[in-house]
Amino acid sequence: MHLVSVIQRGVWAVLLWPNLLASSVPLDCREEQGILSRCPSISQEKLLDRVIEHAELIYRVSEESCSLYEDMFIPLQFQRNQVGYACITKTLPVPSSKNEIQQISDKWLLHSVLMLVQSWIEPLVYLQTSLDRYNAAPEMLLNKTKWVSEKLISLEQGVVVLIKKMLDEGMLTINHSEQGLLQNGVQPQMLESVMRDYTLLSCFKKDAHKMEAFLKLLKCRQTDRYNCS
Amino acid sequence: GAMMRKVILLLLLLCFTAHTRGKLHSPPAKPGLTSCRSPEKETFTCWWKPGSDGGLPTTHALYYRKESSETVYECPDYHTAGENSCFFNKNDTSIWVNYNITVVATNALGRAFSDPVEIDVVYIVKPNPPEKVTVTVMEDKGWPFLRVSWEPPHKADTRSGWITLIYELRVKLEEEIDWEMHLAGQQKMFNIFSLRSGGKYLVEVRCKPDHGFWSEWSSTSYIKVPDYFHREKSTWILITVFSTFTFLILMWLLHMNRHNLKHCILPPVPGPKIKGFDKQLLKNGKSNQIFSALVVPDFPPATSSNYEDFQVEYLEVYVRREQELVLEESKDLHNSCLKSESSTSDCDSGRGSCDSHTLLMAKCREAKEGERQTDRECSPMRTEAQRRLKDWEEEALNYAHAGIVSLEMSSGRVKTWPSVFSPLPRYSSSPLDQQSSLQMAKQLSLSTSSYLTQPGHSTKEALGQSYWDLCLSSKQPHLLNPPTPVCRELQAHSDVNISSIGHKRAPAGPRSPALHTTEYVEVQRVDNKDTLLLQPVVQGCGRMGGCFQMPHGEVYSKVKGVDSDNVLLLQREGMGEDRCPCVEQETNEVTGSCHKSCTVSTTQKPSGCIYTAVPVRDEMATMANGYVDTATMCTLHTC
Repeated sequence: MHLVSVIQRGVWAVLLWPNLLASSVPLDCREEQGILSRCPSISQEKLLDRVIEHAELIYRVSEESCSLYEDMFIPLQFQRNQVGYACITKTLPVPSSKNEIQQISDKWLLHSVLMLVQSWIEPLVYLQTSLDRYNAAPEMLLNKTKWVSEKLISLEQGVVVLIKKMLDEGMLTINHSEQGLLQNGVQPQMLESVMRDYTLLSCFKKDAHKMEAFLKLLKCRQTDRYNCS
Repeated sequence: GAMMRKVILLLLLLCFTAHTRGKLHSPPAKPGLTSCRSPEKETFTCWWKPGSDGGLPTTHALYYRKESSETVYECPDYHTAGENSCFFNKNDTSIWVNYNITVVATNALGRAFSDPVEIDVVYIVKPNPPEKVTVTVMEDKGWPFLRVSWEPPHKADTRSGWITLIYELRVKLEEEIDWEMHLAGQQKMFNIFSLRSGGKYLVEVRCKPDHGFWSEWSSTSYIKVPDYFHREKSTWILITVFSTFTFLILMWLLHMNRHNLKHCILPPVPGPKIKGFDKQLLKNGKSNQIFSALVVPDFPPATSSNYEDFQVEYLEVYVRREQELVLEESKDLHNSCLKSESSTSDCDSGRGSCDSHTLLMAKCREAKEGERQTDRECSPMRTEAQRRLKDWEEEALNYAHAGIVSLEMSSGRVKTWPSVFSPLPRYSSSPLDQQSSLQMAKQLSLSTSSYLTQPGHSTKEALGQSYWDLCLSSKQPHLLNPPTPVCRELQAHSDVNISSIGHKRAPAGPRSPALHTTEYVEVQRVDNKDTLLLQPVVQGCGRMGGCFQMPHGEVYSKVKGVDSDNVLLLQREGMGEDRCPCVEQETNEVTGSCHKSCTVSTTQKPSGCIYTAVPVRDEMATMANGYVDTATMCTLHTC
């Protein structure tokens, strides 16, 4: 009987041997592998490129939305110039001058980008709701703004991953400052929704451009440290 | 027993295990993840293929893990994408991280894990086919073409640039098998040219993102190209028709003129155009016949206006034997004359023997006799005057001077060297007034010319023979138009090749026929055919006896010979106011001595002194006995 049991176990083992190898072993990732690749993670360069591309897209779409809104709701030029000083993200410790940007480290670049992104998620949602209340808001404008808000969230995720990869930092808690930027940044004279929305759009456009610039600078620094500006 | 039972059990176990795979319940087999696809880079779906379920109801579950995170999530949506699929929506899809996906099959007896798969969403994008593919037929200057337009799949966000798609379309005729592929890039419209008139086309479009897979082909669009006529084709048809007509007309014209063309392109080879030349004779090889056939019957011309002024009497010229023989063969009328004379000719080289006085005399007599015969025979060819001249000649012969070397030639006999003849001096005492000096001269000239123009032709001589009947007769002056005695002095010398005869001066004035038989013929001129035109001279040397004597000098000229240029050299004898030289035969002439220098006179007396230099044939022979000596040559100039 002992032999029989041993034989049985052996037979079972033989029959079930493929299952023993069920757990996969992660293989080394290669850059060029396509579908069903066995790479455990996306490489850093690839990730950075994607983030930059993402940021570019967001900027482009925001620019289109802004110009669309301008043409429709802000006909007079003098009104367009008023929004320059009312951006809600003024208070953020984001470098704004070229000198500052050149001196800042990679880490701070990334953190700045992340701050920007995170600070705009909420306002965009607000903007979306505001635009929905319009009577004559064009469909395209609404779609664009909606798209932008969605992509912004995605961008945030990407930047987080990027930070984790580049800086080997742990998962940063997405700290949405609920300080009510809107409440702080809204000028009293900007109660008019149109102007408010317009301000939001244009400010966001600027910040999106800033994000894109930071990321590109970061990339440039990755390849050639001393020639970037 | 126990051993056998164990063995049996083992065998049974093996059988069961073998059976288990097909029929008995068992844990499920390992499933396999077939593919994961994202249509717009915002969501994606994964499909798996389950293994055998082991006979028991088996459930499958998909678990995924995000990159560098140990948290295992289960598929949020098993139903949206259909059977054995897992759908990841927008919130669950991140382009920043890779996904590690595993499918697990579970049944009552166990579990089965599929091989895990790493997914990068960006690289698994396979868009939907393009939508709203429209094909229209458009026209471009009469040539139709297809315009294909489409839209990207509605899910792909190409507007914002989230996905960049490139398109490709394919076209084929309905009856064809192979497709024609066209890459359209990022544009959403494409033109297709070079269509077949009346053909039915099938068009399909597909797209692909930057990194990803080609989509499926869109649904086929059908289009029929309307029939159109090639404008170019009609032009070509017109051109072809016109050119065919033109070509046919040209061919017809060529056909009508083919003979002319043949003459133009391939001109016929000219044959020999010698009058009387018979090719057949040449082929037969009888040269004699050929040459005889070439004899021009009417040559020298019987009448010539140039000679009308002359009254010519007979001239007798000796001819060489061989020539006589040839002459015999000639078909002319003169042949009869020739033949009659053949016996009397002596054609040895030393013609001088013939020319000796005695011989001449003898010959003259014979000739005279023969002449009579020939006269009779040739009567049709002679005028009465000629006959009379001949009679006179006979008389003259009787009175031949010793000092006179005269060669009397019987009629019909021409004495010639190759193409040279010298007329015999005639002594004629009979008045020759009535002789037609012109006629004589004519005859002389004619015969001369005959010799001259056809050197070596005996026929010529034969021709001349008849004319050369030196039948000067002074007795028949009336026969001659100008009543001038014809003084003819012809020196016929066998040794002398004299192509022309110098002036023959007819002694002026009547002479006693018995004593002065010299007749002078004046060479009127030589025409371009080397014809010596003789004119009986009636002039100052008419003294009967003086013509042949030195005193006649001024009017005489002696044929001295012929120079190398075939020029008849005449020696002017003596002088006289009348500067017509005449050829005189002096018996006392020494060979080679010119009594007088020839007076080259370019002026012509109206009486018709003609100096001619006539080309003489090649042979030169010195004369003997005072005949014209080639050694001393005096050239005469034509008037």
